[in-house]
Amino acid sequence: MLQRERIPLQLIFLQAALVVAWCFTDVETGPGAGVSTQPNGDRFKIEGRAIVPGIKTQDWVSTARVLVEGEEYVGFLRTDGSFAVNDVPSGSYVVEVVTPTYRFEPVRVDITTKGKMRARLVNYIKTSEVIRQPYPLQIRASGPHSYFMKRETWGWTDFLMNPMVMMMVLPLLIIVLLPKVVNTNDPEMRKEMEQSMNMLNPNPELPDVSELMTKLFSGSKGSSKAGSSSKGTRPAAKRR
Amino acid sequence: MAKLILLWLKCVVLWAIVEAVFEDQVGKFDWRQQYVGKVRFSHFDTHVQSSKKVLVATERNVFAALNTRTGELFWRHVDKTGSEGNIDALLQHGQDAVLVVGNGRLLRSWEINVGGLNWEVVLDSGSFQSACLVGQQDMVKHVAVLKKTAISVHYLSNGHQKWIENLPETETVDYQAVYSDGNGEVYVLGVVPHSHIAIVVYSMEDGEIIKQMSVEAPWLYNIQASCVVVGQGMLTCVDSAGVSFYMLDLHLQLQMTQVPLQSLALEVDPGFHPVLLSHQPNPARQPLSEFFLQLGPDHYQLLQLNNGQIAAMRDFKPALLVSFATTGEKTVAAVMSPKNKTACSVNLFSAETGRRLLDTTLIVNMDPNGGKPEKLYVQAFLKKDDSVGYRAMVQTEDHTLTFIQQPGRVMWTREEALSDVVTMEMVDLPLTGTQAELEGEFGKKAAIQDGLMSMVMKRLSSQLILLQAWIGHLWKLFYDARKPRSQVKNDVTIENLSRDEFNLQKMMVMVTASGKLFGIDSKTGGILWRHYLHNVPPNAAFKLMVQRTTAHFPHPPQCTLLIKDKDTGLGTLHVFNPIFGKKSHVTPPALPQPILQSLMLPLMDQDYAKVLLLVDDQYKVSAFPSTKNVLQQLQEMAASIFFYLVDSSQGRLSGYRLRTDLSTEQIWEVIIPPEVQKIVSVKGKRPNEHVHSQGRVMGDRSVLYKYLNPNLLAVVTESTDLHQERSFIGILLIDGVTGRIIHEAIQRKARGPVHVVHSENWVVYEYWSTKSRRNEFSVIELYEGMELYNSTVFSSLDRPHAPQVLQQSYIFPSSISTMEATLTEKGITSRHLLIGLPSGGILSLPKMFLDPRRPEIVSEQSREENLIPYAPELLIRTEWFINYNQTVSRVRGIYTAPSGLESTCLVVAYGLDIYQTRVYPSKQFDVLKDDYDYMLISSVLFALFFATMISKRLAEVKLLNRAWR
Repeated sequence: MLQRERIPLQLIFLQAALVVAWCFTDVETGPGAGVSTQPNGDRFKIEGRAIVPGIKTQDWVSTARVLVEGEEYVGFLRTDGSFAVNDVPSGSYVVEVVTPTYRFEPVRVDITTKGKMRARLVNYIKTSEVIRQPYPLQIRASGPHSYFMKRETWGWTDFLMNPMVMMMVLPLLIIVLLPKVVNTNDPEMRKEMEQSMNMLNPNPELPDVSELMTKLFSGSKGSSKAGSSSKGTRPAAKRR
Repeated sequence: MAKLILLWLKCVVLWAIVEAVFEDQVGKFDWRQQYVGKVRFSHFDTHVQSSKKVLVATERNVFAALNTRTGELFWRHVDKTGSEGNIDALLQHGQDAVLVVGNGRLLRSWEINVGGLNWEVVLDSGSFQSACLVGQQDMVKHVAVLKKTAISVHYLSNGHQKWIENLPETETVDYQAVYSDGNGEVYVLGVVPHSHIAIVVYSMEDGEIIKQMSVEAPWLYNIQASCVVVGQGMLTCVDSAGVSFYMLDLHLQLQMTQVPLQSLALEVDPGFHPVLLSHQPNPARQPLSEFFLQLGPDHYQLLQLNNGQIAAMRDFKPALLVSFATTGEKTVAAVMSPKNKTACSVNLFSAETGRRLLDTTLIVNMDPNGGKPEKLYVQAFLKKDDSVGYRAMVQTEDHTLTFIQQPGRVMWTREEALSDVVTMEMVDLPLTGTQAELEGEFGKKAAIQDGLMSMVMKRLSSQLILLQAWIGHLWKLFYDARKPRSQVKNDVTIENLSRDEFNLQKMMVMVTASGKLFGIDSKTGGILWRHYLHNVPPNAAFKLMVQRTTAHFPHPPQCTLLIKDKDTGLGTLHVFNPIFGKKSHVTPPALPQPILQSLMLPLMDQDYAKVLLLVDDQYKVSAFPSTKNVLQQLQEMAASIFFYLVDSSQGRLSGYRLRTDLSTEQIWEVIIPPEVQKIVSVKGKRPNEHVHSQGRVMGDRSVLYKYLNPNLLAVVTESTDLHQERSFIGILLIDGVTGRIIHEAIQRKARGPVHVVHSENWVVYEYWSTKSRRNEFSVIELYEGMELYNSTVFSSLDRPHAPQVLQQSYIFPSSISTMEATLTEKGITSRHLLIGLPSGGILSLPKMFLDPRRPEIVSEQSREENLIPYAPELLIRTEWFINYNQTVSRVRGIYTAPSGLESTCLVVAYGLDIYQTRVYPSKQFDVLKDDYDYMLISSVLFALFFATMISKRLAEVKLLNRAWR
């Protein structure tokens, strides 16, 4: 059933194959030409073309090879990216185009004893599954190989998003912002706060961190606008 | 559930990526050297005057273009190994190079600028004889290929066959040569040995036979060895007895004319077969009328053919090599003659007149540890004043290529012997003088007798020396930092070699098939010493052993190379210092008997050299070194020295024990019927391997103890029946002391080649499954169980319980070339498998993927144990390639060595190329990573410091203000 459905598709492939084959075998007819293209004995030829989109073939063909079943049969790429692996007996082979730069998917090629070829997707687990691929092979590079992994770089966002840092920054903000919200210069308020602090702090001898910070930050703010604040505080002291 | 597993798998895979190389680490501690092999054919690219290419076709089936300025590769094409990829001929015309490959099976044309294939055609079967380019009217458009029974002519532009013709009378005539000189005819020369020459002339146009003739020549049996075509189609031969020339004009069918050599006052050295050398600069034109006759091993004669008369032009004696070279219209002859013991000189002579050209002397210095020159290739060019300049490429018998410019400047050297490394070892570098001095303080006996005071003084003085060295080092660093980076040269020479603090730099001792030994610095890849061993048989087997390491100062380190002729079994020993490559003064014993087995014992003689035992075919054992001390130790130890022998032809595996009188006694024997299966490989464990943990902690906190038998052998067999339904491979685990078979496994419907790694308590092997047509990995792990029988000592003789055997198999999506496991100092670091792939990548596969305890269903316990759920297919991720895009062609072996750091394993992959790197199977846990951000840490520290300072000051101001309030 499946085969029957595929027939039109196959026809297209066959046509494509014919066109490609026609491209490969030049039309020049010397005497006895074509003898070499025919299968010799029961040895066959695997043909195809490898394409790296957007890259000139001259730039990569010299480093590329076609490996059939490991290194059992080796083919080389022509300057136009096409290839032919000669002298392959019938059987089933995994054909791979290998370059150090680009990644090509392997293809399984089955050759019958009569020399009929078909190409299908490689599936090592379900080895008998047939998902047809065009033959002569059209192998398109799926991009450059990724050999390297990225270094973990240090960025501000990584640092700030760290939960530990978040835990530190939030209280800091509160400490800085709180004195602004609550006017600490108001003596009543301050007294109230000191009282509550003292109640919280069991040991008055020990300097309280939050208090220190509050004072420090309000103080530093004061010193930055030194003139006005000192003028402001002095009358208060006199009043007392 | 499935989703969960997938997620889990993804997590694991992501985690495992971390082993990859970072991009900024490229070339930091790795290097690659690419080789091509021993050169068989070489052509300088002359079609452009400024071309920098030299084409080489080699005996290792490689066709490559080298840069003549640097010696580096422009491109390289590696064909199949063996006779099917064998390069029979190399012809060059313009931008195209035509190769005949595989005994005349394929005809290929390469575009030499790009390095891509122009075309490839399959030729009819038949053994290849000769090939030549055919020109017509000064245009070369065809190539003619002569086979045993047929001649075919192909277009150079597309490889299509123009015509093919069967040769007449192939039953009697042995056709050997094809010749053409651009007049539209192709001459095929054949010989009926000791009877006559057969000449068939074909028309270039349609392959019709124009002429066919036979000429009496009862003295001739090989045309290619004794005949050349000279001048206007004059076939010139010299008979093997070396008595006379025979000449035949191919255009006129006449008798051969005989010219006695004596009439030219020439005499061939007794016992030497004279050789002729002619030169055809352009295939569309006639060859030169000048030619060389070699009269002896170092005696050449330049001759000229003039109107059918041979005239002697110049005599060269002594002359080692001669060569012709053409540039423009000028042809010169280069003659290499010995100058003194260490140098040769090359001179140019005008081919037409035989006169020496002025200022053309070139001095070639010969390496005393190298071989004799074998071939001379000359690249001639016209200088501005129209005189001829040249460069010479000299090939020596140790496969070295040296490219030399006038007046003797070596532009580059390629050690092509390194394309065929057979075995190697890594040896620690020696300590520097000061370090050794410090070490000596503790070792010397005198130190004990010295008093306390002198000890203190000694200590102080050595510390002072150290301080001095450190300051010197700092000064050098400072001095180098001021210079531009390009000028700083860290030339490593033998003199300044010393061990680094983590012992990461080592000396790689490499043994090549040609018999040349190399010492290579593992950090830079520079060759520090080379030593060519003469008289190494061509099919020798090598075994390299380190007898004494560098740890025993002042005794020099010592390596021993056992060279064994595979046919006769006779061996020789070469003892040398691995740091300097010098032959040791220790005289190795002569080995009159064939050697069956050699083994290195952990025993040492009084000079700290490990004892090497050699077992000969009479089962007698000899020791090297064999001092009294050693023999006494051997007698004491004899009862616990066991060894095994493998005879794969008879399928016999036998174990022996040493007796106190150094004779042996067979204690066990396992016969594997050779009709059914043959032994392919026997693998023991590496002696320098350490296993840190005795067991594995399970999910329920119990311990599964490993079966760590140091005497375990993994024996791999393959069935002799190769039918895909009936073929199988077998694996036997045998205790090498008792001969007890611990485990036996058969993999049905599988065939080799099998690659095995045997380490710790596991064996990993890879095979080809004929049923599913895929490569599969299988892992066997051995465990003692939950309790250890004897936890202190392992004894093969006292181990009553058979180990538990776990096995699992996986699919691997590629075939593999070789396989090895990483090795570290103490064995704490997790293990990786290093797998050499045919694509040239070296995959670092964590061993945890090959763990027979990988569960099919994930449970809480297996998750606790960090077991990856079972997946049938192993993945190849390019991130796991330790050599990123630095592919290693035809990986033959991977050598791993521990470094001084537990996390780091040194790796050398060798094959056609050599690649050296470091791997960190568990990441760098014992040193700061090389991307450690010193800047960030120090800036944060400084910032904090200043912040405290400032805030302290502010606090003071604040307090003061408060006090004033």
